[in-house]
Amino acid sequence: MTLPELYRARPRNLVVRGSLTAMLILIVGVWLSGAFLDPQAFTDQRQENIARFLNELRPYPLQSTTFDASVALTWAHSIMQEKGWDALRITIAISFAAITLTGIFGGLLALPAARNITRSEPFVINRTTRNRITDLIWSTVVGATRLLLIFLRAIPEYVWAFLLLALLGPTAWPAVLALALHNTGIFGKLAAEVIEDLPAGPLRSMTGMGASRLQVAAFTVLPLTLPRLLLFFFYRWETCVREATVLGMLGIVSLGFWIQDARARNFYDEMFFLILLGALIVLLGEVISTWARWYVRRAS
Amino acid sequence: MAGLAEATASSGKRRWILIAIAASGIWASVSLNLDPALLVPGEGGLAVLSEFFSYALSPATTYQSIVPEGTTPLAVQALLAAWHTVQFAAAAMGLSLIGGITLGFLSSYSLMIETRRGITRVIGGAVYSVARLTITLMRSIHELLWAVLFLAAFGISQLGAVIALALPCVGILAKIFSELIDETPRHAAHAAEAAGASPIQIYCFVLAPQALPNILAYSFYRFECALRSSAVLGFFGYPTLGFYIAASFENLYYGEVWVYLYTLFLLVAAVDLWSGAIRKRLALTR
Repeated sequence: MTLPELYRARPRNLVVRGSLTAMLILIVGVWLSGAFLDPQAFTDQRQENIARFLNELRPYPLQSTTFDASVALTWAHSIMQEKGWDALRITIAISFAAITLTGIFGGLLALPAARNITRSEPFVINRTTRNRITDLIWSTVVGATRLLLIFLRAIPEYVWAFLLLALLGPTAWPAVLALALHNTGIFGKLAAEVIEDLPAGPLRSMTGMGASRLQVAAFTVLPLTLPRLLLFFFYRWETCVREATVLGMLGIVSLGFWIQDARARNFYDEMFFLILLGALIVLLGEVISTWARWYVRRAS
Repeated sequence: MAGLAEATASSGKRRWILIAIAASGIWASVSLNLDPALLVPGEGGLAVLSEFFSYALSPATTYQSIVPEGTTPLAVQALLAAWHTVQFAAAAMGLSLIGGITLGFLSSYSLMIETRRGITRVIGGAVYSVARLTITLMRSIHELLWAVLFLAAFGISQLGAVIALALPCVGILAKIFSELIDETPRHAAHAAEAAGASPIQIYCFVLAPQALPNILAYSFYRFECALRSSAVLGFFGYPTLGFYIAASFENLYYGEVWVYLYTLFLLVAAVDLWSGAIRKRLALTR
């Protein structure tokens, strides 16, 4: 084949190309429409405001003097004593509680969402009977569970928390449940895919020995999928830490609450410090999660 | 497949992970005072709860309050809010792609260090470290925290909101792009190097094209995330779906809340299916 022939014979896909074109048109169109171009971005007034704002990000006792590490440390220490440590504890606890619930809900919902378990006579090599109605009932169960999972993950954590806070009152539950609901939608889907990808052999031999659907789920599916589920679990926990920080802005006393509070009182130095603290625990979560996933991979 | 003894040993290691998870869950519920009894609302709370969920099956078709003549109908308003949500997400995606590709270049081990020799290797290494640090900082601050920072700095500004959405996205895209490219097999790259290609040529014409399908698929997935974040920005006063959810909810118009919730659901689900279809066609793992 000559080079032009090779070029013409390259793999192409209409859906992918169409989607790409549509996306590019959308992005370029939105920017050209001018809604996001800010003509006042570079006026002198604006520049002045920004310069003042940047100055106010520095710790208050240091704003008019030269930098002094001991003053900065005392300032940081007093913020940590007053609210920082407690906010960190609550943020991390919310993420732990939420991810534990996610593991339970998501793991349970993954079973009715997996087509290879949720069907009449699963893991039988030659099905002798075929009943349209029972087949239809089983596939309805799968469809309904998947729809529920999509709904759970389509609504952002922040929206769930906002709604639940008003409905359940000011405890830690709204934040925990909001994170758990959204992540259940994601974890349940991922877990269902892992279950569907399982090799049929071990499952068939269990059914052949007379195990029921639930026994197969508990004693074959769970041990076989556990390592991969743990990888997803820690990956989702990472985002839980990230989101738990922010949910505080709705009024639950995690880190976000104090950030919002500092902004409302115009204490921009404190706000900036707490935002950096949030970044720090997100990074810490990332390190722990990476380590845990490495440990799981090595163990399996 | 591992032998029986090895399998037992590995499940023993896994046991510690499970025990640690259970322990942290218990510590968290004690620390937060998560009493299940708190979930059972009082009589008033129960009434609100059942009213809210009863509207799930019968969302409002018109506004639940009396509105002046000529107000945009509810359905149109919901679509408009959805369109604003898409606009913010698309604008942010545009910035993120440009930033993500640029920083992805600079934080790529294979371009900045692996193919370099001598003094350029030192310079490349320095640029690489700075770029890595930048993208780590960008993505470790949540988009809503960026939004709060920009609100404090500029006041309410559409451009500020888009940049807030884009910054963490740039960090994540740059990280994933550079990793995808660094992970591509090196055979073709070695061949090109032997034929005299420069590092930039190897990167642009050998490594990057091989990783392109994965990069595209991941970008579509990020668009889905940008859409959700864009909806949430509404809570800070921007005209996306979150704004209307909050406004209707605070006025206790639960029927309207469900209209906006279902709109958000359909929007995200559509993009979810769309990006799923693309991933399947590109036959990918990530």
